[in-house]
Amino acid sequence: MPNENPFQDPLRFERQIPECVIVIFGANGDLTKRKLLPALYRLAFDRRLSAGFAIVGISRTPLSDDAFREKMRESVEQFSEDTKLDEEVWAGFARGLYYVAGDIADQGLYQRLGEKLGQIESERHTGGNVLFYLSTQPSQYAPIAHGIGAAGLGKGNGWRRLVVEKPFGHDLASARELSNRLHEVFDEADVYRIDHYLGKETVQNILAFRFGNGIFEPLWNRRYVNHVQITGAESIGVEGRGAYYQEAGALDDMIQNHLLQVMATIAMEPSASFQATSVRDERSKLLRSIRPMTADEVFQNTVAGQYGPASIGGKDVPGFRQEEGVDPNSQTNTYAAVTFFVDNWRWAGVPFYVRTGKRLAKRVSEIAIQFNSAPLHLFNQDSGETSTNLLILRIQPEEGISLKFLSKRPGSGMTLRPVSMDFNYGSSFGERSPSAYETLLLDAIIGDPTLYTRQDMVEASWSVVEPIQNTWRATKFDFPNYAAGSWGPAPADEMLARRGHVWRKP
Amino acid sequence: MSATVAPDTILKELAALWTQEGKQGDAGVLRACSMTLLVIAETGDDAAALGETVAALMPQHPARTILILLRGDGERALSQRVYQQCWKPFGQRQQICCEQIEITASDAALADLPSVILPLAVPDLPVILWCRSARLTGRPEFGAIAAMSTKVVIDSGAAGEARDAIGRIADAVRRGGIVADLAWTRLTRWRETLARVFENRDTLAHLSEVDSVKVHFGPGYETAAWYLAAWAMNALGSVGQVVTPVVASQDESLRLELTGGPFRVELSRQDERLVTVVNEQSNCTNLPRPTDYLLMREELGIVRRDAIFEGTLASAARLAGSAGTGQS
Repeated sequence: MPNENPFQDPLRFERQIPECVIVIFGANGDLTKRKLLPALYRLAFDRRLSAGFAIVGISRTPLSDDAFREKMRESVEQFSEDTKLDEEVWAGFARGLYYVAGDIADQGLYQRLGEKLGQIESERHTGGNVLFYLSTQPSQYAPIAHGIGAAGLGKGNGWRRLVVEKPFGHDLASARELSNRLHEVFDEADVYRIDHYLGKETVQNILAFRFGNGIFEPLWNRRYVNHVQITGAESIGVEGRGAYYQEAGALDDMIQNHLLQVMATIAMEPSASFQATSVRDERSKLLRSIRPMTADEVFQNTVAGQYGPASIGGKDVPGFRQEEGVDPNSQTNTYAAVTFFVDNWRWAGVPFYVRTGKRLAKRVSEIAIQFNSAPLHLFNQDSGETSTNLLILRIQPEEGISLKFLSKRPGSGMTLRPVSMDFNYGSSFGERSPSAYETLLLDAIIGDPTLYTRQDMVEASWSVVEPIQNTWRATKFDFPNYAAGSWGPAPADEMLARRGHVWRKP
Repeated sequence: MSATVAPDTILKELAALWTQEGKQGDAGVLRACSMTLLVIAETGDDAAALGETVAALMPQHPARTILILLRGDGERALSQRVYQQCWKPFGQRQQICCEQIEITASDAALADLPSVILPLAVPDLPVILWCRSARLTGRPEFGAIAAMSTKVVIDSGAAGEARDAIGRIADAVRRGGIVADLAWTRLTRWRETLARVFENRDTLAHLSEVDSVKVHFGPGYETAAWYLAAWAMNALGSVGQVVTPVVASQDESLRLELTGGPFRVELSRQDERLVTVVNEQSNCTNLPRPTDYLLMREELGIVRRDAIFEGTLASAARLAGSAGTGQS
């Protein structure tokens, strides 16, 4: 029997997807409806899924398979941003949708799931491959993994993998404890901790930009880079998630995972290959190189903020404390800015300014790398001030890359003016980019964990964030300290000003 | 019509266009270029449809397009016009523009074309020649134009005699050229579907039982049939299965059948659908006729040798060369 499929043509074919079943715990939840099902349907629409592909939804609400199919159809119709529901594609996709109702604390649920998986395997020839996706409250991750293991579903004929959403723990100890519980059933190699930022095309493009080109990497170090600004700004508030957000805050919700992963991608050393282990090793090494802060350093190098009410474009918007489900005296940070330093030869002394917040002036995620200015200023400049070279990697919206440099203004004399050279991902490549969930779900099915976070990476991130958490918890903040619709609290500007730097207003 | 065109004049006109664009509005234009796309078509070709195809390709493959329109008999004459293809991405102020040069040439002026095209090609970027004129590929001037190109794309599906066309393409590849055939590109979905069938380990286990490959074709599918048969033969050969395919003109469109004992896989086109049958199970997916845009989009994404196509081409040329009329 041949081991490999001789009909494959990697130059022209999309990556082949093995037959499998995805078991989604929390099948009636928001994430399933808004992200997972639309992403999986789009993959089916693009013929990226194998013919026998199946999904088993699990939730407490009793539903028949048909009723579940109807609910998922509504989700796809409502939340597929750029994919119209095609009746024929949907009919094929829906035939692979199944539902099992039950309480995750009830071992009977896992027995019924096992029977359903057996039925699907014989009907759809899924080869025993199962991807368990935990789209539930984080507190349910460990009990579900235990239930899967106790029912003997953690091992089977094919592969068994587990995908877990953030947050992965709420501090270092809880993250370790959770990993230990999951490892009772799944090997670390089979645990896929999803960070949807890493699935974004432009974040992946950072690696292509840095390591696919020869001209940038020689400049990518402390000798030429003055500082780096990483921004993950949202213009919306907590949008009904006040109760959840109150427990998390901007630092835990964004910086501990998404933005530190982005920073690791920007600052990591080149990996020996593009194999998952090599890339993740380098990311992990970078995260371990970030200098943890003492309490004094936390006061110097971090700023917490919380938005207050304001009028934006003539519309009154509430402050965080006025949001539904939020304590009127809440000390939760809805804004966090941190100055990180990386203690390695490449980056020693270069500040990495990372900020995130709700209700900021606009929704934008980007990385701005500011290079040192020329050692001598020979020319007049239109702006009247020293202008430096800036490389901007835009993650969302309008993904792309811009390079700002000086050019001679036309006419007599030598007066310089900053100009921008733009590469726009969407317009330079008119093809639709897959959503982060499409990319990451496919990777998990294929068994490529490159864009997933590993236990040591999660722990390294918590090690960096935990001293900030501890100091902030012990501090009484005078919140709110920034108006909704602004670029954050004034102390964040002062934090940069102390080093002669200014936040970009993207 | 002037009798000649001067590349320097064309380049000056292009520069003037960019200057003009730059003066309009404060958002400016972004010049995008990843290759030179040289398109050769007959003046009788549907100019509007071709223009739309080229325009649609630009967002994915921004290029300086040089469109050569062949106007057939007449005195030795060339003429040219220069324009831009611009689009404004949704929600953005800045326009993206690509350069387009249109040159009309009589047959008597074909020998002059290389000297015009050579200075117009964008330096340091690949030149892709898409020849839509079956007539030109048989003329001696074609060789000189093809020699300037990194890759030549033709469509043997439009050729009158499929086996001759395959032989000519195989000769060109043997001489070292990178050649693509849209008749092969049209088979990507078929091949991908068959490959997907064998991704299933249970099905893959039956591959060693396959002892017969049959391809049935109808009018317009003969080249595709030879390619499909040769590709299946090569793939099976790579895992030690020596099978000589049968190619026969017995169908309305195209049908591929792999069998061995009770095991059977069949792919066939039925109207706008691709029907896949594995033993008793059948599956049906949409298979609209691929447009020139889709075919060229795939080919422009591959600017290097395609080992699987070249292996298939060589085998197809052997199979077709040794076959009698209509079948092997």
